[in-house]
Amino acid sequence: MGTIDCRDKTTREINRAIKALIKEGAHEITLQKPMGKHNLAVALLEPVSVKFEGSVGYYCAGLMDGADVDIKGSAGWGVGESMMNGNLVVRGNAGNGAGAAMRGGTVVVHGNAAARAGVSMKGGVLLITGDCGYMTGFMAQKGNIIVCGNAGEGFADSMYATVCFVGGEPGELGTDAVVEDLNDEDLAFLKNALETKVNGDAPDALAFKKIVAGRKLWNFDKQDWATWRNAL
Amino acid sequence: MCGIVGYWQKSETTKDGLGKTVMAMLRALACRGPDSAGVALYDAKPANELVLRITVGPNGAADTIRKRATEWGQVNSSSTQSEYMRLSLNFDGDPSDLEAGVESCGDGIEVVSMGRSLEIVKQVGSPENLDKDYGVSEFKGTHGIGHTRMSTESAIDLSHSQPFWAHGSPDLAIVHNGHITNYHKMRRIYEQRGVRFYTENDSEVIGIYLGECLKAGLTLEQSLLKSVDDLDGSFSYLAATPTAMGFARDRFALKPLLFTETEEFVAVATEEIALRTAFDGEFSVGEARAKEVRVWER
Repeated sequence: MGTIDCRDKTTREINRAIKALIKEGAHEITLQKPMGKHNLAVALLEPVSVKFEGSVGYYCAGLMDGADVDIKGSAGWGVGESMMNGNLVVRGNAGNGAGAAMRGGTVVVHGNAAARAGVSMKGGVLLITGDCGYMTGFMAQKGNIIVCGNAGEGFADSMYATVCFVGGEPGELGTDAVVEDLNDEDLAFLKNALETKVNGDAPDALAFKKIVAGRKLWNFDKQDWATWRNAL
Repeated sequence: MCGIVGYWQKSETTKDGLGKTVMAMLRALACRGPDSAGVALYDAKPANELVLRITVGPNGAADTIRKRATEWGQVNSSSTQSEYMRLSLNFDGDPSDLEAGVESCGDGIEVVSMGRSLEIVKQVGSPENLDKDYGVSEFKGTHGIGHTRMSTESAIDLSHSQPFWAHGSPDLAIVHNGHITNYHKMRRIYEQRGVRFYTENDSEVIGIYLGECLKAGLTLEQSLLKSVDDLDGSFSYLAATPTAMGFARDRFALKPLLFTETEEFVAVATEEIALRTAFDGEFSVGEARAKEVRVWER
């Protein structure tokens, strides 16, 4: 157990205090009054539990590997960016680029995520209980994006093998994004994720639409200008 | 990178604490814009009163302006601090004539703001110094917007600082974070129509654009919605009039903008740190969507 009051401390002081507590053997660290400061709890490489009692700024819990981070507030841009593994929960709204380039683990946003959530993600699960913003899932390569609410414009644009699920309205899909039927495996995955990560309010798994890459951009002739024009 | 803030008190009678709140938000964004800081604050003046904030130029033309001012209207008060003059007079004529009159008093004079409610105070340097020099925290009023600037393309001086008053449209002010990439094109078109630009700052065109929209009969909300299509580039900006405040965000959501709305107030800022620093208590904060426009009106 350890507690850090973030008021009157710089980002560097707070992050050093977290590392010091981990070194002393703390398994659970509580950060009070983070006040929207940036770059907090980045690069957590130990299996610790970090709780923020308030909103955080940019890039919180970025680059982490195997920690549990719980934010009782909203998060700014790039929350959980490039995380390798672990669990990240935002109990509020998330700014642009939530879970950007993540490679593993789970990010759950209990609220809305702004533009470009899960951009270029390479693994793991990004679950948004509310709506997501413009170009969510842009160029995502692996892993899953689950949006319980409505998807913003340009959803799942230019993706590789990420599989997305939208419980509300998918809106205007991005380039090369196509809707596919849910199979049994998808339903089992969705049911499990919704039961374990969302408390109650999620739509029924059957109501979700599955969105994947149409694979038209995976291989195409460079001289095919129509494809370029549509993609850009 | 710049920082912008907006604060709207829902009750028209709540006027205390406007300057203090806007300054608290602005100070939290000081690191986003070390070049200059400024605020545009709104407090309805008595009927007929018009307040001008004027930079008096290198030769200090304050005395000349003060003498000439009696020709334009009854002078209520005038004061000068460094290069900045505040002139209050009763005036019913054409604001553009008055602006031209003031600026004809000497070289390098610029009317920084003009309005029956609006006052703009801005200068090179930090929010801390702005407050120290002009006592912004003491200002009372209903709503206001503010800006901290990190300049990327144009000069660093008072004139290029924000907020920008929309020259020619009394009481209309904007703050902008981003780049207007069709600025030169738009500016050329306006200049062909005889509009004078005071700076090389691309943000200046937003105020001119909105002023034209309002003059054409659009509401502020309609004007902001139209701007999302007409302006190119990256922008999160706030615009205010005596009876409204609103924001618009570009189609790619390239520049941050967060807001919160409670029963008492609306607060908008580039970063949540500004909201958490200025306001205690529980409130939820969300990021504006791409192309989102919101306006609060009385």
